[in-house]
Formats: sequence, structure tokens, C-alpha cells
Amino acid sequence: MAGRRIVITSGKGGVGKTTTTANLGAALAKRGYKVVLVDTDIGLRNLDLVLGVEKRIVFDLVEVVEGRCQVRQALIRDKRFTSLHLLPAAQTRDKTAVTEAQMDALIGELAEEADFVLIDCPAGIEHGFRNAVAGAREGIVVTTPEVSAIRDADRVVGKLKERGLPHTLIVNRIRPEMVASGEMMTVDDVRDVLRTEILGIIPDDEEVIDTTNRGEPLVLDPNQRLAPIYLKIARRLEGEKIPLTRLESQTFLTKLFSIWKAG
Amino acid sequence: MEAIETEITAPVPEAPVGEQPVAPLGRAIVITSGKGGVGKTTTTANVGAALAALGKRVVLVDADVGLRNLDIVLGLEARVKYHVLDVIENKAELDDALVRDKNVDSLYLLAAAQTREKEDVSTEAMIGLIEQLRARFEFVLIDCPAGIETGFRNAIAGAGHAIVVCTPEVSAVRDADRVVGLLPHDWKPELVVNRLRPALVRKGKMLSVEDVDAILRLPLLGVIPDEPGIIIATNKGRPIALDEHSPVGAAYRQIASRLAGNDVPPPTVKVAEPGFFSKFGSLFGGR
Amino acid sequence: MLRGTKSGLEFVFAADAGDAVLSDLTARLSERPDFYRGSRATAIFQGAPLESDAFAGFLDTVRAHGIDLHGVYGAAELGPFAERHALAYLGEPPRPVVTSLGQRRPRKVVAALTERARSLEADFAGAREDIARRRARGETSVAKPDFAKAAAIRAGAASAGPTIAPPVLTVTPGTPATLYHRGTLRGGQILQQIGNIVVVGDVNPGAELVASGDILVFGALRGTAHAGAQGDTAARVAALELAPTQLRIATCIAADDVKHKAREPEVAFIRDERIAIAPYAKAGLR
Repeated sequence: MAGRRIVITSGKGGVGKTTTTANLGAALAKRGYKVVLVDTDIGLRNLDLVLGVEKRIVFDLVEVVEGRCQVRQALIRDKRFTSLHLLPAAQTRDKTAVTEAQMDALIGELAEEADFVLIDCPAGIEHGFRNAVAGAREGIVVTTPEVSAIRDADRVVGKLKERGLPHTLIVNRIRPEMVASGEMMTVDDVRDVLRTEILGIIPDDEEVIDTTNRGEPLVLDPNQRLAPIYLKIARRLEGEKIPLTRLESQTFLTKLFSIWKAG
Repeated sequence: MEAIETEITAPVPEAPVGEQPVAPLGRAIVITSGKGGVGKTTTTANVGAALAALGKRVVLVDADVGLRNLDIVLGLEARVKYHVLDVIENKAELDDALVRDKNVDSLYLLAAAQTREKEDVSTEAMIGLIEQLRARFEFVLIDCPAGIETGFRNAIAGAGHAIVVCTPEVSAVRDADRVVGLLPHDWKPELVVNRLRPALVRKGKMLSVEDVDAILRLPLLGVIPDEPGIIIATNKGRPIALDEHSPVGAAYRQIASRLAGNDVPPPTVKVAEPGFFSKFGSLFGGR
Repeated sequence: MLRGTKSGLEFVFAADAGDAVLSDLTARLSERPDFYRGSRATAIFQGAPLESDAFAGFLDTVRAHGIDLHGVYGAAELGPFAERHALAYLGEPPRPVVTSLGQRRPRKVVAALTERARSLEADFAGAREDIARRRARGETSVAKPDFAKAAAIRAGAASAGPTIAPPVLTVTPGTPATLYHRGTLRGGQILQQIGNIVVVGDVNPGAELVASGDILVFGALRGTAHAGAQGDTAARVAALELAPTQLRIATCIAADDVKHKAREPEVAFIRDERIAIAPYAKAGLR
């Protein structure tokens, strides 16, 4: 049976797509699945940095598509989880080097070998976004509880719907104390605006920047408080029914959103 | 909250903007970063507000067609009637599309189209529009979309100068470096390091400004400390640059003052020990 | 002196050159017997011609190494000398040609590296990975590429054997020029050159240098550098600060373990089929 083809997207940049892709991938690999992460941010690749494998890149996605090498030659196997692989993006090319059809074929080929193919989408909704989505059969939209991030996520949810892709939502960087004091939107606010099933809620954690800089997915470290959260998301993705951990309960700003949603 | 609700019913002011032609032309500056979410839009809004507070006539142009956010940051989304594409396609007069800020009088916004694609804007049209705005404003700040695709190329097309925003993260530095390489070669882009947490730098868990400089080698325009308050300000639509008590606001006002041509001492950041990447020194600087 | 230029090899004889120079050159050619095979060459005399018999002997050596020495530059008195040795007299010595590309302006010289060279790069890395995988599985029967046989096939001496072509490496006719780049090379920028690359400035992470010859960086090399990209195992990479993401020389790749803190100029080269790094001052370079 072919593996699942999931695009991880957000519209707005910097909300944690790449970090989520890396950690979710590591979590799935830790649970025994064969996982391929595909970086489609041609020209601005970063997934290799987050995984700490940038020095091991010999071939990239564009070279695979252009037939200069075979897929398996370009795949980089993670040293910690042997079932986790990365197909890196090209850094010295641009997004038009690949077409949607090529991407679809490539992801299909990967899905024949892997249980999960996670596609890290570039920011924006231009050519790079269309390429990333072309290869996917389902989507995960990552957003943060900020008005601008949610507006962009809303745009992306619309685009996924247009293509008939089923999708779920990950709300990233929740700061429970700010939600409690009414300074930040709640998860319910976000869900009400986007009307999308929530796959996971991830609290803000300053360790993320550090582990990202060092190229170590934090799922690997049992001392990281976010590690069990990603593992839970991985299990939910497999289809297990696990209730969401509530980080807060207050609602705030819902009204504000209903205003621009209506308008 | 309150402010926005009242603004919805308020009529859009029909302000005659800069009626007399001004010479010389204003400066068109693009705010760019490569990576998304590092604070381009927040920087654009705050530097713009601070410049306007100095008495400069400023227009902010949202070049992020399809994913506009500058209107939200300024709390002006309910006032936006027309956008960049309407003006370019002659569906609206420039005067009708310019939205005056509710906090500072000489600050205007030209919003992006939310329901269109970046490919709908031609580079020539963008250059023409910026030219038009430069005739009427002292500063034209262009908020560039993330990435390096069509939207990026259009955003830099009309500009003559760039401010590169970067957070002290390896991936943000890489992307900023990539973008600097794509800017016209005779530009001298300036750097804003955003979201610096000196405490984390001291612990060796965040890159220092020196670490960032070791790679980028750009003149430092400003350093913005990280502060939870910035998210609140973004959601409330009042630029923090207008907050007299905030150190973040002060950092933005310093940047504005420097752009306005005032002699401001270079930004200093108190960090006792070097960050863990300081070993990346280099013997040759400059572009 | 022997030097390479855009148009080919040049044997330069200074005004005071004597027979010693000829034996030096002869020795240098025999060091790398086949390296210059197929090159075109000229002789440049900055002073009077050499003694005729000694030069005739030298000419034989040069031809034995497969170098086509076809003409002589020099003052008018060289005319009859050239004729005696059945060489064309080409006139006054040409002014030295300095290739200076990309002053400040980073330029993509994509066309410079042939399609063949790119695919070669692809082949070797794939092969290396296969070898590594088989070794991991305990298989040892990985045949090394047979360079001698490859040379024989090239010379047309061998009959059609196995159809898989071994990595046949040839020096491109027309000796390399040097690409000179001033300024920081930013992430995503790439310089490719048949010949050497000299960068005065930093090479940032994500930037790439690919040269068929040597790479020299007067600055910090933090991106990826591939010297000897068409198979020259004698190629070197030198930088004031050598801290690359990845180093490739000919068919060797070094990464992961190239972390080090040296704050002095260093040079990387191939020793025992692996990439070695040494302080520039101690590397004993010419």
C-alpha cells in the first residue's frame, strides 16, 4: 500500500512549518514508520539545517527531477532514526525549476517506499506553494495565535479546499499565561475562525530556537517538554483518538475575527 | 478592540495627500528578509509610524498580494476600500486607495489585494506606482512578501534601498544572506536584527548580533529586543513605536531617526559573553 | 617556466634562460606524463633563442608527452630559429592575459561547466553511496574503477568489454583560465569554472564554488567548494579561514568531520584517497 502524502503549510512564514515537519517526522520515525521529509523551499532551504544534515547534502530535489541522479542517491538518512529520510531542496536554483506534474510524480514515487511523505511547503502562495501541494493528498495547516498568521492560514485552507485536499490544523506557539490573561487568542478562537479540525496544540518554548540552531529535532530528547506533544500528534495522525491537551479555556478576540470573516 | 469597532462606521477621510508636487523625490525603501515571520511587516509598520511621528510624510505599501497583513498590524483593515491592484488597473484613484493611519496623521497605507495572486502585478506597473508615490511622500516603505519568488521581485523593483530584517536564528540568517545576494549589486542594504533576547545570547542559546554580522556583513541599522508585548501590539493595531515607555518602541524610533538623516549612535546591545557562533569571524568584510 | 592560459600551454623562456631551464621543464613533464596530453602549446622567448640542439631534444620530449607545440613567439631573430625547428613564428610575445570576471558583480557562469562534468559529479557520488551501502552490508566485491583499462578503451586498444563506462576523466583541451571574483558570495550564488577560482571575500553557507582546477578563497570559506570537479585529484582548496559546509575534491567528499577551529590559512588536498587539511604554511606548496 502506498504511503500517505501530507503537505505541511501555513501561508505566513515563520510560524513553525519546518520545525513541525522535522519533529513530526522524527516522532513518526520513532514510532517505527518509514518517513521521508521533502523540502520544497527551493532557494531557501532550511529543513536540512533543522535536522542537522546540511553538510551531507550531495544531491537535491531538482537534480532528481532533472534526472541527474536517482531518488535514493539524493535521500539523506538521519543518523539517529534510520527510518527517517530527507530529500533536500536545491539552494542555488529557484522554484520554477520544478513543475507541479513533476512534483506529483516524485512524491508518488517516494510514497511507494515510505509510510509517510511529509512535504515542507515554502511560505506564501506562489509557485512554490502550488508545487508542494501538487504532490500531496492531505494537508496540515500550521498557524500561530496571531491575527496575521490566522488570516494567511485561512487563505491557505481555502486553497486546500479548492483542491479537495482533506486537512487538519496545528496551532503552534501558544503561551498559556498570555491566553489566561486574555492577551492571546485561545485555540477555540482559532478553530472558530478557521473551522478546521485541530490535530495538535503546541506551546511556545524558547528551547525550539536553540534546538533548531543546533540541528537536533527536540523529539529526540525526552527532557524536552514538547517531545511528548509531537509524539501525541504523530499518534493522532495515525488515526488514534487522543483528546487534545487543553492549555487554556478562555475565549478572546473571537468577535474581532467574526468581523473580518464576515467582511 | 474598541477602537476598531468604532472605526468601522467612521467614514474614510478624503484627505488630499501631498497636493503640491515635491522635489526631490522621496526615498523608496523595501523591507525584506527571505524567511517569513521574522518581523518584516511589524518593522515596516513601526518604522513608518516612527518616521511619521518625526513629521515625515510616509506611505506604507503592502506588496504581499494574496497574504496581506500590514493593514491588520496598523489596525486599518476595516478602512481598506481599494488596493494596489485597483490602482494599477485604474479601477481606483490613488487618493481613494490611500488609507490614513488613525494614530499618526502623516502616515498612509496602500493595502495589497487579498483575493488576487502575486503574478497579477507586473513589475513595470509596480515601478510606476512607486515612482508616483515617491513624488508625494518623503518615505515609501515597501513591505516585501516572504520568499524569493515573483512577489519579492516586484517588491524590490521600485525601491532604491533595502532594509534586511533578520532574527538571530541560523535559518533566518541563511535566508537573509540569500536575499542580499539577489538585491541589485549597487545597493548597500542595512540590517535590522529583530527579536534579540540578550539573556538567551548570554546562555549561548541564541546567536549574538556579532554572530549574525559575521555572516551578513551589513551596516547595522537597528537591534530590536524581543518582548512579549510586541504580539499584543500587533493584535491591537497600534504600532509599539508610538509607545514612549517600551524599549522596543525606542529601538524603532532610533531606526527612524537614523533613516531621517539624524546622527544617531550605532545600536549597542549589552551581552556579556560572545555567542556560540562567534568563532565564525572573517578577515574580509563588505559585499 | 610552464604556464597555462586560455589558449593553451606556454613554455616561457626568460632572457637569461639556459639549458638548465630545459632540463627543469623536461623533469616537470615527466612528473605527470599524461597530464598535458592533447594540449596545444607555444614557446615564448623573452630573449635570445636557446642553443639549437638542446632545444630540438626538448621538442622531442614535449611531443613524446603528447603536447602539440606549434609556434614560437619572440623577437624577429626568432624567425629563422623557428623555421629550423619546423615551427611557426608567431611574432612578438603576447601581452599577458589576465581574466578578470565579475568585479563586484556576482556572475553565474553556468555554461562553463559542461553537462558531462555535471553528470560525472552525479555518477561518482551515487557510486560512493552504493559502495558505502554494500560495505555496510558486508559486501566487499565492489570493483574499483579500472583507470588503466579506461585509458586503453580511450586509446581504442581494447575491444568492447562491459558496456558500463568507467569514470573516464580527460583534461579539457584548452588549458584553464582563472575566474576572479571580488566580494562576498552569498547563499544561493554559484560560481562554476573550467579552471581555477579565486574569491576575494567570504563564501557564505549555501554558496557553491565548482572548479575543474584549484579554489582559492581570500576570506572565510563557509559554503560548499568542489575543486578538481572533472577528476583532477591534484586540485586543492585553500582559504584564509577554511570552514566549509562541504568540501569536494575530484571524487572525494568531506563533511561532518570538517569542524575545526584553526584561525590560520589552510589548504585541503587529497592524500591516500581522502581529503586532508593542513595549515597552508606547512603544506609545502609550490
